[in-house]
Amino acid sequence: MDKRESMWDLYLKKGMSRRTFVKSCVALTSLMGLSTDQVSKVVEAAEKKPLPVVVWIHGHECTGCDESFIRSGAPLASDLVLSQIALEYDHLLSAASGEPFEAHLEETIQKYKGQYILCVEGAACTKDNGVYCMSGGHTFTHTLQHAAQNAAAVIAYGTCAVSGGIQAAKPNPTGSSGIAQFAGSTPVVNVPGCPPIPEVMTGVVMHVALFGTVPPLDGEGRPKQFYGNRIHDTCYRRPFFDAGMFAESFDDAGAKAGWCLYKLGCRGPETYNSCGNLRWFQGMSYPIQSGAPCIGCSNAHFWDDGAMTERLPKFGQPIGDVDQIGAVMAAATAVGVAGHAAASVVQKKKRIADEKKNEGAGE
Amino acid sequence: MKEEKRKIYYLFSPYLRIFHWIMVLAIIVLFITGLLVTKPVTVLGIEPTYTSMSMDWVRNIHFIAAFAFCAAFILRIYGFIVNKGDRLFPRVWEGHFYSETIDVALHYMLLKPHHAPFLRNPLARASYAGLYAMVLVEILTGFAMYYMTEPSNIGGILFSWVNVVLGGEMMTHWVHHIVAWLIIVFAIGHVYMVLRADIMEAEGEASSMFSGVKFLEHVPKDAGEVEPPKTEK
Repeated sequence: MDKRESMWDLYLKKGMSRRTFVKSCVALTSLMGLSTDQVSKVVEAAEKKPLPVVVWIHGHECTGCDESFIRSGAPLASDLVLSQIALEYDHLLSAASGEPFEAHLEETIQKYKGQYILCVEGAACTKDNGVYCMSGGHTFTHTLQHAAQNAAAVIAYGTCAVSGGIQAAKPNPTGSSGIAQFAGSTPVVNVPGCPPIPEVMTGVVMHVALFGTVPPLDGEGRPKQFYGNRIHDTCYRRPFFDAGMFAESFDDAGAKAGWCLYKLGCRGPETYNSCGNLRWFQGMSYPIQSGAPCIGCSNAHFWDDGAMTERLPKFGQPIGDVDQIGAVMAAATAVGVAGHAAASVVQKKKRIADEKKNEGAGE
Repeated sequence: MKEEKRKIYYLFSPYLRIFHWIMVLAIIVLFITGLLVTKPVTVLGIEPTYTSMSMDWVRNIHFIAAFAFCAAFILRIYGFIVNKGDRLFPRVWEGHFYSETIDVALHYMLLKPHHAPFLRNPLARASYAGLYAMVLVEILTGFAMYYMTEPSNIGGILFSWVNVVLGGEMMTHWVHHIVAWLIIVFAIGHVYMVLRADIMEAEGEASSMFSGVKFLEHVPKDAGEVEPPKTEK
């Protein structure tokens, strides 16, 4: 097997200075959400570790995650793809390549068995043996299972790959679901979002690439460094929430003044993501900053938690949200209690009358 | 006028009684502030920052009431240990529980004019077990939301699983709401049943939560579970 290059080897080959290399490593460290004392470890890994082989496959999805990915500013997506990972296979970039490339996928899987990173975008389509999502003559679930079970780690990019995505919305005609069930014993990193933040996407793959391990994960398998905070708790509009200053409609003075969007259905209080601190496109903005309430796109089932412009989902149509259901229940109970009380009084009166009658008969 | 001979049974320890009234207060405060957190009122004519209805206040009152309620369980548990009358768990492991529950239920369905005398009837005891179960759900879902501001701290570690089990934090909110309403439904039924029993049977049902005693004419079926009656009247 030919010698695989490390990131440092590649920098040397391109004639880039040691200084540039170390600067890149520092940038990478902060990008991965690590503390600065980890820089030396990152440098060491970048010097010695051969570039990680990455296989990138796509299922049921819109490729919006890739749209997000290519907008990564630090590192640039081009840097990552060309000099920090060895991207051997990608459905999207090689859509027109045909059979030789399919053969290359098989070759890659065999050659780097148990060493490569598998990135998956899109849901697994499970209904009718997965016939609703096929490429290269195989169902996506077949390719996914084969590639995932031979990988070192699987990264599930986007809410589709994590929990089914928009196509899993009721009634879910294609049986779309997250990909974790097909990964066997291979560790899975969930990177939800619709799409995930570009820097989060590059950051996670770099972490796995450099350290060879999955980053610390929370209870839902998401990397803690990016999904450790609620958007609500990191939101720059939080002071307006605390003060009770809410936009009541999308065109009122509160909305124009940038007040809290809680009453307009903001899902920030239930959503874990880095939008509040990293923001999007090199910190330019994020949905709430642009005046649109968070829709909770990194939550499973966000597509079914409507209406998105109202605080509580209306699962209980036609009555309404959970509080309206509760109020109806309480009112019904009160009416029932009143009816029962009236009936009890009637029953008691009848009983006393009967007893008197019996006593009278006895004497 | 018929002379009634009644016996005084000591049932509820002061710990249980104090706990009960803390619970009443806490549930009222938690319920009102909880609704205000979900649907904040719009305060007109005054700068929101200076109102006493600010989210910060409402939330803090909600949290303080919640912690006070949880702390009050110490009283309940202590009472449970020291006083037989506080042990209200329905005796589901004893066969007669079921027949007695049916008997009492038939009475409340107005199908039977009387039910056998109880100090604490099995239907009521089962409903209290249900209430505690609902309170437990509220505590678990409440802390799951509260502590997830910092998922890596001890509270987050202890309670984050609730969000995973329920399938996402939106569901945790949903469950927290619906169970809060179920507790209100329980409260309506509970107050009605207590007042009804007090009026119909005159055994001191309502006052027992202040005095700790009930007055019974007949020997109740569960008399063996508590101290024998102290004085005769």
